[in-house]
Order: sequence, then structure tokens, then C-alpha cells
Amino acid sequence: MIDPTPLRLRITSDPANLAPVRRKIEGFCADCDFDEEAQGQIGLCVNEALANITRHAYKKATDGPVQLDADFSANALKIQIRDWGTGTTPPLRPRPRDPLQPGGVGLVCLRELMDEIRFTPQADGMLLTMERKLN
Amino acid sequence: MEELTTHSELIPSASKDGEALILIIRGEIDLHNSPELRTEMLDLLARHKPQKLILDLARVPYIDSSTLAVFVEALKKVLKTGGKVFLVGLQPRVQGLLEIARLSSIFVICRDTPEAMAK
Repeated sequence: MIDPTPLRLRITSDPANLAPVRRKIEGFCADCDFDEEAQGQIGLCVNEALANITRHAYKKATDGPVQLDADFSANALKIQIRDWGTGTTPPLRPRPRDPLQPGGVGLVCLRELMDEIRFTPQADGMLLTMERKLN
Repeated sequence: MEELTTHSELIPSASKDGEALILIIRGEIDLHNSPELRTEMLDLLARHKPQKLILDLARVPYIDSSTLAVFVEALKKVLKTGGKVFLVGLQPRVQGLLEIARLSSIFVICRDTPEAMAK
């Protein structure tokens, strides 16, 4: 299989972008030969990462710049999402969750559905890297 | 059964059957439109105070954590009066998120509305 052309998206933190970006990343994952369940899981992780950027990094502002790069090589998907927000690193291990207290589910998704996630603080924001191997 | 007026395309149909409030929900729901769902759902809950809230999700192919938060907020309101929230007709992605979030146990999951009504 020829590796699909890398995906480069330059968007804002407006939640209106969530559905179209989800569809693009799921389409990219389909081109990488991920099955339908995995496509949905990776789309969900991107959705949750972008929603967290809007809510926390940009404190609900909808005009913050966001850069999403997706690459597939050596049987592995790598997604990098860069923002220029507050640069706060989420807790490495989420707090024990009370089911009746919402919050933290997005990070749980990232940790459970991706093989690896890394938050790399930048001088002016944050870089999130998520990786998942094609089984 | 009494048909109720709704003000959101995300809830195209709402009805009251005894102490049950049945909401048919439709569409992909994420942070973009979950606030609209929240407003409409909480308004219906405040007006009707059901003992049983049945959310028919058969036409919902996708939700995210912000949507789950709306369901949990509705659950907390219904629990205050000793009621229960039923999620029916779950599609695979919705079911998957409930399991990852470990929230399956706080709702009553049913195949369809008649099964929820019978419980």
C-alpha cells in the first residue's frame, strides 16, 4: 500500500469545525486501512483534543488558531495538534472519576484509544502528539 | 400519550406518557451543538419533572464527552426526585463512548422505548 498523502489542516478553535475535521481524519484513517471501529475511535480522540483546546487552551474563544497534521508511515499513524493557547499540561494521570461529575472523559478517551500521547509545552502554547499503530 | 412542543431540531419529538418523558434525539452531537441540546432538555425536565426520562438515541450516530455531560446533568436532576434515565437504541459509537467513560452503569440501557417503559 502507498502511504496516503499527509493531512494538513489549519483551522480555528470554533466548535463548528469539529464535525468536518472528524470526517476528514476518519477519511484519512480509512485511507490508512484502519477499520471502521478504529476510524471512529481516532475521530473521537481528535474531537476530544480539539474540544479541550477550545475549552481550556483558548478558554472558549472560537478564533484561536489550531494546526493539525496527520501522517502515516511504517504502519503507524501520527497526529500532531498545535495550539497557541495557555500551554497548560493536563495531568499525566487523570483523577479518579466520580461518574456523576462530568469532566476528564476526553483525556480518558485519548489515553485508552491511542497507543501513545504526549503533551509537549511550547514557548507559546502546546503540541499534542497522538500515535496509533495499524494492527 | 401527550405530544409536547420542542424548540430544537436535535429533539424532533417529545412526549409524556404517565410519569415518563420520552425524547427522540437526532443527529451527530458534539461541543458545537450539545449546549443547544442541554438547554432544550433541561427546559423539558423543569417543566415536566418526570420519574422516568427515556432518551431515544436510535437516530444519534455520534456523541462526544460534552454530550455525555448533558446526559449526566439530566440524570442528576432526575435522581433528585428518585427517578431514572433510560438510554435506548444505542448505536455502536455511542455505546463505545459510554463504555470508555464507564458510565454505562449509571444509566439504564434498553433496546427500545417499549422495553424501557416496561421496566
